[in-house]
Amino acid sequence: MSQIVVNGLLTGGLYALVAVGFSLVWGVMNVVNIAHAAYIMLGAYVSYWLYQLYGWDPFLSIPAAMAVLFVFGYLVASLVLNRVIRYGLVMTLVLTFGIDLILQNAALMLWSADYRSVTPAYAGQGLALGGVMVPYVRLAVFVLAIVFVILFSLFLSRTRMGNAIQATALNPAAAELTGVRIERIYALTYAIGAALAAAAGSMISVVYTIQPQVGNVFLTRAFVITVLGGLGSIPGALLGGVLLGLAESFATVTVGIGWSEAVSFSLLVIILIVRPQGLLGRRFFGGVG
Amino acid sequence: MADATLQQGAGAPGAPHPAGPPLLKVEGLEVAYGEVQVLWDVDLEVYDRQVAALVGSNGAGKSTALKTIAGALKPKGGRIVFDGADVAGQAAADAVRRGIVLVPEGRQLFAGMTVHENLMMGAYARRDGLRAIREDLDWVYSLFPELTKKRGQLAGTMSGGEQQMCAIGRGLMGRPRLLLLDELSLGLAPVIVDRLVEIVTRIHRERDLAILLVEQDLNVALAMAERGYVLETGRLVKAGTADELLADESIRTAYLGI
Repeated sequence: MSQIVVNGLLTGGLYALVAVGFSLVWGVMNVVNIAHAAYIMLGAYVSYWLYQLYGWDPFLSIPAAMAVLFVFGYLVASLVLNRVIRYGLVMTLVLTFGIDLILQNAALMLWSADYRSVTPAYAGQGLALGGVMVPYVRLAVFVLAIVFVILFSLFLSRTRMGNAIQATALNPAAAELTGVRIERIYALTYAIGAALAAAAGSMISVVYTIQPQVGNVFLTRAFVITVLGGLGSIPGALLGGVLLGLAESFATVTVGIGWSEAVSFSLLVIILIVRPQGLLGRRFFGGVG
Repeated sequence: MADATLQQGAGAPGAPHPAGPPLLKVEGLEVAYGEVQVLWDVDLEVYDRQVAALVGSNGAGKSTALKTIAGALKPKGGRIVFDGADVAGQAAADAVRRGIVLVPEGRQLFAGMTVHENLMMGAYARRDGLRAIREDLDWVYSLFPELTKKRGQLAGTMSGGEQQMCAIGRGLMGRPRLLLLDELSLGLAPVIVDRLVEIVTRIHRERDLAILLVEQDLNVALAMAERGYVLETGRLVKAGTADELLADESIRTAYLGI
């Protein structure tokens, strides 16, 4: 029983990190960013190759993966997405789906569909706490994921740039009247979303095996968590991530591992019926933080 | 015709035109929403430290003129000269950096952010340091003591009058050289409107800035402004000092109902 809870919590922390960047982009730009899946995958491969080629510890390569995807995300947003964003949700959905396909297929061509994993020396070790097994790697991933989410939350609430992102989410026209350059804020927001996806991807490369489609399962989770926790809400992403982690952990034991996806989407449907604004949805539409 | 009235107004008592060129000079401004033109050949001037009003009935194009000056709309033709530079068609974000700040119609606050955060967003584009920003923040709070009490409250949860105060405060935090006020009195109780009129007068007295305001209510507008411009269905029909406009028979019948 406690093992199930621990497993669920550990997975939930990672889920929260997977979801928070996706939720941000959706909340600020009204873009359902399908390419989030590809950014997770690319982050995972950055860590994988740095480990394989240069022996970098996967935890140390997290900043590198984030930097690469930040730059990549900024370019995608400023060169492509910003030109399309005024045409609305469906157009950007199609666009980001296309970007996702291109990136996943490029990865397939470059690196094949082989399953790979990053296995540092400490990979198999863990902590036994009164019959409950806590693998070090998963514990570290959990702690780091939570730290990232908290740092990001502080960035949004405490910094000038973070406030500009919030203001843009709430009222882009008014933000422009205070001197905010909306297109730059969109590019920055998208870049931050991609960098957070990359951080999650790096962590995924140590915990799971990776292949070019590894991001897809996490994208569906991000979608569920965003709706569950509330669009653009960071505490919502944390709560939603942990709840989903726990629900899947229990489902794996009770009804079988093949049912975890079904559990995710059942949660999604239930929340849409019972509380469509999400558990911690913001009071004012479009608010993030 | 408008030019003749302009010259006439220049020497009127109580509203001396400062020497030198105007801070804002709009010439032959034409604005259209797609195919639909709403402003034709609008000329107006605002001098340093002057309060001017653009009045007219609903749909006359007052807000359109203000938004175009602030860079939120692109003009179809004409010139907008601010401080010697033609700024027609510039982006709103650039207008703010030049010192043109618009307090938009309907407040347009960041509803889900606190009063304090809204005010600080007003200073977003400033580059003159945190100290100067702090000083202005203290000044804004002294103008609107009711905001001080609610600084931690979400802006969207306040009353209409408080929201309008917060919107003016946010505009002032940008340290404007030209403050554009759009329909200050819209939807507010007369007692609140009186208070806002008083505040605008105080802002004008305490700060070195020019104000161009748009009002449907001629009495409210001319209580604050030294000069007025009257728009009718997209064209400027009259310009003059506040006293001249109030004395004008046709304006009295059209806008004051007396």
